[in-house]
Amino acid sequence: MSSAAASEETPALITRIAAGDRDAFSRFYDLLAPTAFGLIRRVLRDPEASADVLQEVFWQVWREAPQYDPKRGSPEAWLVMRAKTRAIDRLRSIRRRDRTFVAPVDESVARSSEAPAENPAVVAEDRGLVHTALAQLPEPQRRVIELAFFEGLTQSEIATRLGEPLGTVKTRARLGLERLRGALRGERLSAT
Amino acid sequence: MNHEEIGELAAAYALGGLEAEDRARFESLLRTGDPDAVAALRDFENTLADLAAAAPEPPPPAVKAALMERIAAAPPAARAPARPLPPSRRAIWPVVLSGAMAAGLAAIVVGWSVSSTYEKRLDALARDAEQLKADLQSQQTVIAILRDPATQVVALAGQAPAPTARARMMWHAKAGGVFVATGLPAAPEGKAYQLWAIAGTSAPVSAGVFSVDASGTGSLSVQPLPGVATVNAFAVTLEPAGGLPAPSGAMYLLGKS
Repeated sequence: MSSAAASEETPALITRIAAGDRDAFSRFYDLLAPTAFGLIRRVLRDPEASADVLQEVFWQVWREAPQYDPKRGSPEAWLVMRAKTRAIDRLRSIRRRDRTFVAPVDESVARSSEAPAENPAVVAEDRGLVHTALAQLPEPQRRVIELAFFEGLTQSEIATRLGEPLGTVKTRARLGLERLRGALRGERLSAT
Repeated sequence: MNHEEIGELAAAYALGGLEAEDRARFESLLRTGDPDAVAALRDFENTLADLAAAAPEPPPPAVKAALMERIAAAPPAARAPARPLPPSRRAIWPVVLSGAMAAGLAAIVVGWSVSSTYEKRLDALARDAEQLKADLQSQQTVIAILRDPATQVVALAGQAPAPTARARMMWHAKAGGVFVATGLPAAPEGKAYQLWAIAGTSAPVSAGVFSVDASGTGSLSVQPLPGVATVNAFAVTLEPAGGLPAPSGAMYLLGKS
């Protein structure tokens, strides 16, 4: 399933979901749950927490489909943004909990305690992401996008983490996304 | 604001790492429908959606099964904006809502008391607001139960140990129910109240354990009971904390449907 193929069908599905159509919801789920789940897993790693967040996200789809505004973007983007926000909210609450109930720990330790058996680098590679579009970005831009999108750091936190000025982080995020957009477009063209 | 600056705000907004102040600036641009801001954001969000689509992972089948069950149980009325409850039922809601509101208020007070990490706190507040929204949504689901014609409302009257106690059970066989009791004495150390559903001549089925606050009020959110279709009566007994599989203690409340 490519996102280009799905997007022909999804706007109509959202309209039907908004009217309470369960078959449309089922179809929408089948089309897009793997994308959402891939992203949530990348952020949270823990399979149970990820399944939980996936369910919340699609429950939100069922409840909030009437508020979907096609002028603001595709249903895919609408869903992915929800999945990202929910996953990062959960990640932050896990971090908060760990900060409160465990002695202050380095974030990487807090995260690895969620899924001790998994090495983050290996997981990232499994996801296949680093080998595709992201890998085409210069390392500094890629880092900024990963820290924001997959780890939920704010731009100031990224600046602190990387020891770079805030302005540099802002510029890298924009340039990185612009380049990514070009790379993904190129990929889709070569795939068709 | 120039084109590049809008691009930077849009990128950070889509990625999710925008600081509170910048986020407010960008959201006000979006609200006024600034074409540059709307286009840049749409572009970046589509890019991130494509990025996510490049790394799909099959979700566990149980998630879809649970969702389909959940949406089947949510009556279509739940999708309309909540209307005010009829007066007789409204009085119950402060009890049910107060827990969520207290949690939210506590978070706000704590959030504002630490000024050194003001911006982080704003973020935390935004998340707490999200949480409250989620709580509200679950309350709306409960309201939907109340509106469904298939919902039974059962009044329970106090029995010998607490003649002035009263309770009400709003019960929907498929969606579960909400139970609220008032006028109960505090349970002694090591004891708790247990709610029972009685269907026909079969043995009572536990519907959960609850405690009461200093004012004698307690509430319980009840999941659908497997294998129990029509409930003829609800009863409350005093049992060892944690509850028992079958009632053993004195009966405090009883109501037939």
